[in-house]
Amino acid sequence: MAGIWIFAEKREQALELLNIGQRLAVKTGTAVSALLAGNPDAARDYIAHGADEVLLLPPLAADQSYEAYLPVIVEEAKTADPDLFLCAATVRIRELAARIAACLETGLCSSCIALNYGEGGKNLEMERIAYGGAAIQKVTCLTRPVMATIPPRTFEPGTAEAGREGHIRELPAPPTSCVRVLERKVRTRETRDITEAKVVVSVGRGFEKREDLSLARQLADALGGEIGCTRPISVENHWLPEELCIGLSGIQIKPDLYLGLGVSGQIQHVTGIRNAKVIAAINNDENAPIFGVADFGIVGDLYDAAPKLLQELKRGSH
Amino acid sequence: MPTIIVCFKWVIDEAYIRKGSSGTLDFTSVDYKISDYDRNAIEEAVRLKNSHGGTVIAMSVGTPEATKGVKDALSRGPDQACFIADTTFNKLEPSQTAAILADVIRSRIVNYDLIFCGEGSSDLYAQQVGASLAEHLGIPYISFVQKVDIDGGQLVVERRFEEGIEIIAAPLPALVTVLPEINVPRIPGVKDTLMASKKPVMAIRKEDLAPLGGARLQTVGMTAARMDRICEKFGTEAADIARFVNALRKKAVIS
Repeated sequence: MAGIWIFAEKREQALELLNIGQRLAVKTGTAVSALLAGNPDAARDYIAHGADEVLLLPPLAADQSYEAYLPVIVEEAKTADPDLFLCAATVRIRELAARIAACLETGLCSSCIALNYGEGGKNLEMERIAYGGAAIQKVTCLTRPVMATIPPRTFEPGTAEAGREGHIRELPAPPTSCVRVLERKVRTRETRDITEAKVVVSVGRGFEKREDLSLARQLADALGGEIGCTRPISVENHWLPEELCIGLSGIQIKPDLYLGLGVSGQIQHVTGIRNAKVIAAINNDENAPIFGVADFGIVGDLYDAAPKLLQELKRGSH
Repeated sequence: MPTIIVCFKWVIDEAYIRKGSSGTLDFTSVDYKISDYDRNAIEEAVRLKNSHGGTVIAMSVGTPEATKGVKDALSRGPDQACFIADTTFNKLEPSQTAAILADVIRSRIVNYDLIFCGEGSSDLYAQQVGASLAEHLGIPYISFVQKVDIDGGQLVVERRFEEGIEIIAAPLPALVTVLPEINVPRIPGVKDTLMASKKPVMAIRKEDLAPLGGARLQTVGMTAARMDRICEKFGTEAADIARFVNALRKKAVIS
């Protein structure tokens, strides 16, 4: 049986993949199968959102990691022989997807950000980011199944359709593995999740000391947003937690407004904001790359311009 | 004492890529480097050797020009290198690179305990060579690792995922891909560079390898990333700031 497979860890990621999967399934006249690990109650929800079949992965033992699913998924994929296999690009599934592709001897487009059927509707063209964000690579896959991992929030989730029907089938339990999880430590977030924020004020190297970050915080408060930062601010200076680090190797955001303060605009950082509706920046170097990718830029010292901006925002709101 | 293999890629430094006319990429004035996270992989291999003894072999698949990269890698502490070169190796995809590495490891290195790779290469960042290599060799694979140790003949690592960390144990030999947070790679000094040129390098040619499998992915386009933005600049005078705020209001991104 041919068809389109999707695999995600979380509900919202699954709904995105179901949406895009169903769109492609309609075009090619095939069905959508969703792999589901964890709570089997979600199967009905998946079906309502576009799955024709849900393949339940039995729960893992406490000392098993996600990789234990590898032989189960590979065996099922060999039998079902899907045309296309879309995976959410989360850490654990990225790892699994690369191994599944190796076992199935097929091509995998990692971190795919767009996919479209080319001329004639046969070749699926997939886009991904290359060279740290400087380039867009377009690939096609010459083998089956065509595999892609898709970063969360790349596509819109679909809506549920009442009365949709589908099958639910349980896959065999994963065999024991020689890789054992000794312990899991869930990290408690120190900050709010900024991927959902409407406004993000980003802190860059233009800040001279940690105490000055209050300026960014005040602006974020005035704009009803959150603060984020560039890699040096979190990884090198440790002024802000890593979960606020925006960029290719950090988080990707798509707020209505991104405001960079003292951000130079290194390509890796800019790649994390390319989907912002409006990009604004304050930087004292008029040749800083950030001005090439910003809609509105203030050329000037952030210690001068930011307080003035804060004042103007407060003035306007009264 | 463990034999540790560390794989690295010699890549174009993306900071030197210019945007050409009509959306092409201009590679005319580029420089090369060891892929960022592979430097962490090398550092970790050498760190482990310093605490457990053993040997570190740095391995790379690339074009003959990457000889410079082999020297660079050796100046960072490995004892020897294995360099698999051919003029056509700039067009390899992850499955082919992994197949070549697996072939060489199986046929020429045989007894190894641990293989390190970076989380992904700085040029294409496909994050597949490590996974594919582990499948070829049939050994445990653990990715996104921020801490590594060998304890009583088994591997114990901390692997990071979105919600936290997992502490994982696996038998050796195993393959680990490392995160940049795992260490701070050294900057080699003059002495390190001089020592590097005295270290043994095993050179392997395409003809010495099993025939290469076909490509699974085909790159049909590589263009400069476009960011179509308004690019309007303002000063810091009160009137400028007011115009700036107005522009944001007009776009309805602030109230």
